[in-house]
Amino acid sequence: AHVLRQEMGANLFRTVIRHYEDKQYKRGLKAAEQILKKNPKHGDTMSMKALILNAQGKTDEAFALAKDALTIDMKSYICWHVYGILYRANKNFDEAIKAYKFALKLEPDSHQIQRDLAVLQIQMRDYPGYIQSRLLMLKSRPQLRQNWTALAIAYHLDGNLQQAENILSTYEKSVTTTPLRTDLENSEALLYKNSIISETGDFERALEHLETDCKNCLDRLAVMELRARYLAQLGRKEDAAKAYRALLDRNAEHPDYYKGLIDALGIAADDEAALKAVYDEYAAKNPRCDAAKRLPLDFLSGDRFRTAAKAYLTLMFDKGVPSTFANLKHLYSDGFKKDTLPVLAEEYLKEHSGATDTGGQTNGDSSKGEGAALYFLAQHYNYYMSRDLSKATDFVEKAIKLDPKNVDFHMTKARIFKHQGEIAKAAEAMDHARSLDTKDRYINSKAAKYQLRNNENEKALATLGLFTRAETVGGPLADLTDMQCIWFLTEDGEAWQRRGNLGLALKRYHTVFNIFDIWQEDQFDFHSFSLRKGQIRAYVDLIRWEDRLREHPFYFRAALDAVNLYLSMHEKPQNGTNGVEGGHANGDDAAEKKKAAKKAKKEAQKAEREAAEKAAKQDPNKKSADGDEVKKKDDDPNGLKLAATADPLGDAMKFLWHLLQFSPKNIEGQIAGFEVFIRRSKYLLALRCLKAALAIDKDHPKIPEQASRLRKALDGAMSSLAPKVKEVIDSELASVPGA
Amino acid sequence: MDIRLLRASDIPLIQHANLENLPENYFLKYYLYHALSWPQLSYVAVDVSRPQKSPYDYPKIVGYVLAKMEEEPADGVQHGHITSLSVMRTHRRLGIAEKLMRQSQLAMVETFGAHYVSLHVRVSNKAAIHLYRDTLGFKTERTESKYYADGEDAFSMKLDLDFIREQLREEEGGGEEKEGKESEKNAGK
Amino acid sequence: TGDAEDEVQPTAKSAEDRKAAAALSKLDDTRGDDEGATREVDQEAVKNAMSALGGGGDKKKETKVVKVDAADVKLLVEEFELPKAKATELLKAHDGDAVKAMKAYLQPTF
Repeated sequence: AHVLRQEMGANLFRTVIRHYEDKQYKRGLKAAEQILKKNPKHGDTMSMKALILNAQGKTDEAFALAKDALTIDMKSYICWHVYGILYRANKNFDEAIKAYKFALKLEPDSHQIQRDLAVLQIQMRDYPGYIQSRLLMLKSRPQLRQNWTALAIAYHLDGNLQQAENILSTYEKSVTTTPLRTDLENSEALLYKNSIISETGDFERALEHLETDCKNCLDRLAVMELRARYLAQLGRKEDAAKAYRALLDRNAEHPDYYKGLIDALGIAADDEAALKAVYDEYAAKNPRCDAAKRLPLDFLSGDRFRTAAKAYLTLMFDKGVPSTFANLKHLYSDGFKKDTLPVLAEEYLKEHSGATDTGGQTNGDSSKGEGAALYFLAQHYNYYMSRDLSKATDFVEKAIKLDPKNVDFHMTKARIFKHQGEIAKAAEAMDHARSLDTKDRYINSKAAKYQLRNNENEKALATLGLFTRAETVGGPLADLTDMQCIWFLTEDGEAWQRRGNLGLALKRYHTVFNIFDIWQEDQFDFHSFSLRKGQIRAYVDLIRWEDRLREHPFYFRAALDAVNLYLSMHEKPQNGTNGVEGGHANGDDAAEKKKAAKKAKKEAQKAEREAAEKAAKQDPNKKSADGDEVKKKDDDPNGLKLAATADPLGDAMKFLWHLLQFSPKNIEGQIAGFEVFIRRSKYLLALRCLKAALAIDKDHPKIPEQASRLRKALDGAMSSLAPKVKEVIDSELASVPGA
Repeated sequence: MDIRLLRASDIPLIQHANLENLPENYFLKYYLYHALSWPQLSYVAVDVSRPQKSPYDYPKIVGYVLAKMEEEPADGVQHGHITSLSVMRTHRRLGIAEKLMRQSQLAMVETFGAHYVSLHVRVSNKAAIHLYRDTLGFKTERTESKYYADGEDAFSMKLDLDFIREQLREEEGGGEEKEGKESEKNAGK
Repeated sequence: TGDAEDEVQPTAKSAEDRKAAAALSKLDDTRGDDEGATREVDQEAVKNAMSALGGGGDKKKETKVVKVDAADVKLLVEEFELPKAKATELLKAHDGDAVKAMKAYLQPTF
């Protein structure tokens, strides 16, 4: 490497690094310029400058400079390291790994490069690579406990439980001082080891380890829960029952504990009296406990159910608990219970009519007593399994008469309108409910959601804007996007799609996609952070969850919307205007939609202009909440570029792969997948979707239709297929009915 | 209802509940930061009565408490802090908020040796103030002017947790092992 | 100085936001990593453990040597849109038999 001759220069270079680490980019840049003035070909400084430029959002400039630095100084590990960091920052992880490895070759003793490499490897789930890196890190610093723990984690995640446990044990044995009881890192490491032992399925040994090594661990709840579980697994019923009782004494609202206790007591599933007795004991002990009173309704039958349900409903109505119906509706899969609950509510109503006015036990609060029973019945008749919308309206109107300003009652009224198909009225009613309590964001969100269902995007945004932060540049939309408000983005996209504004619809779905990218990226810092904190079990929990992040219904819904929209764009290509025309519009409807779309576009442009003006007015010296880091400007805020795509099916793939990979059991995804693949003449992949759909639900109405379309497409294409593909199709298609 | 410890996989729906209910919102990463720094302290209330809609349903969160330990306590005393607490409007009057808080407070003492817990609450939030002061026993320390983004003031409140220490000591039966005493494991084998 | 003034970090409006921003900005600060809790360890024990690690601990899983036809890899990449490495892996798992590999890939995995 080019050496900075003067001590001054070396000091200055350290200053550049320090400023960069402190995110003081302007100062860092100044110091770098100072060096480069005297020594313009100093590769390391050029690299550091590139790093700072990148942090300031000037990615292209940064890459160009980093490349120049490398050409000048190919042998500098700093230049290679920086090159890797730039790739990493721009999410090209494979290239980043390569660059780090180069840097490490030049400077094998650099902890920092080794650590950066290791973090990338675990982020990419390159377990063998991660094991190697952690092994080297441990060898260089065995006195650091986290290096041992990290290696154990590497083996653990790679599936080598035995080696993971060995590493932890080796460390324990080689420590010469005994950790204090208050040593949290030690406590967590012991419990982590215990979790590894239990993953091997050897509960005998796990229990023994727990009762000896972990008996003083600081996470008391974990120790108690694990102990109860192991005892139950080992059939030590009496001890298990005791352990579950101790847990119930801590938290009587956790259904698993009751289940554990009942299993341990060996009570038969049909012994209703004995089961009930268990719950009654805890209901008596904890007068304010809900679970002990409500859970028995799940298994009781006949008169026993009737009696218990009556007591429960009476209590809930007296208290005016708004979630009473929500907490009981799962019982409706049982016809008897479905019929009994409304009868009980009616009985209660008869006994309590008019009680509110006299200020009896409900203290004049009309959401309690009579009001609560009316509210329950309104919800009952609004529920799809027991729906009678005119009765529902009756009850909700009575409730409203009793308490005209009750938000919950009006909310239910809006829901009833929705089920009547009166979307506009529903939105209006929900907005009225909102006006009754303008300080409550929950009802505000619901009102906005109903406005979106009524295709009133602008109005909904204004409603939500009553709660978003006023100072966010770009207004409520920017705030909701920043804050990762997925429900809004999805509903907004769907509404734009209904209105024929494909650009904004696609824009929202892509934004949701990007949020999932951010969530995946979010784990990055924790690979080293968690080692410092020592909360290893929570970290492993995070890693395993991140592995299946995109199975989340939040992702599925927006992604399926996007795939279906791209499919419709393929079917009816845009006539090149601006991507704001409806998919299947015709005649008057089309003209209407066109008009609406035009208006929508105008409004969106206006909003954008206003945001830009507002941004321009901001004091340029003030920075965003992230310090110097500059937000990249969105060059397609209205999704016009997205909508102008020449290859909608190709674009759909970005969403589709994740759907198929992470939610394969969701038939909607398989069906959409087939539609994309058959249009792209990817017959094997179409067949794969079809076979998956068959395995999920062989009676799905779409399957025979898709099967025959595939057959037909193949008949036309057989001559052009590779012989091996043909062979596969011939044998596999035979198992698909209708093909 | 199910009241249990928060898991990483709950976080999207916790964030959802927060966005739907409260004006103070956070990035998903901030929730992760809590879940990975003090996984013993945050609890959720889950609606267990919802019929499954897909094989990938996540439990619906109707309430949560997001809590932490103060990392550099100004007064040098180990203490917990409630970052965010919320219960859906549709699930009120079941005592969920109180139950969430009590679980978190217990863990603050057991796992982190907290001496007290602090929090901020909007001066206009009568229901929350009632819960903290009258049900849980918090005391108002001071008013912090313009604490919230919309300019509203906050009460800074505090609850001494010694009563939990007391309970734990009693349960342990007279403190056979004193805090800080080294365990009897063989050293340096 | 004025310069220091405008480097002041978070400009989040509320105390609430400042707290969150500060916590998040510190997450990736790894400078303290090498100074974590160190404890006296028995050097002899460590040395023994290390040599054991270098040895048997992380032997590569035994992999069969399977010949894979480049044309078959190309076929799988084309038909299934898999990355080349994945396609190769899939072929290897089925003894290099493309028909078998493709059939296997068509089966639902749940």
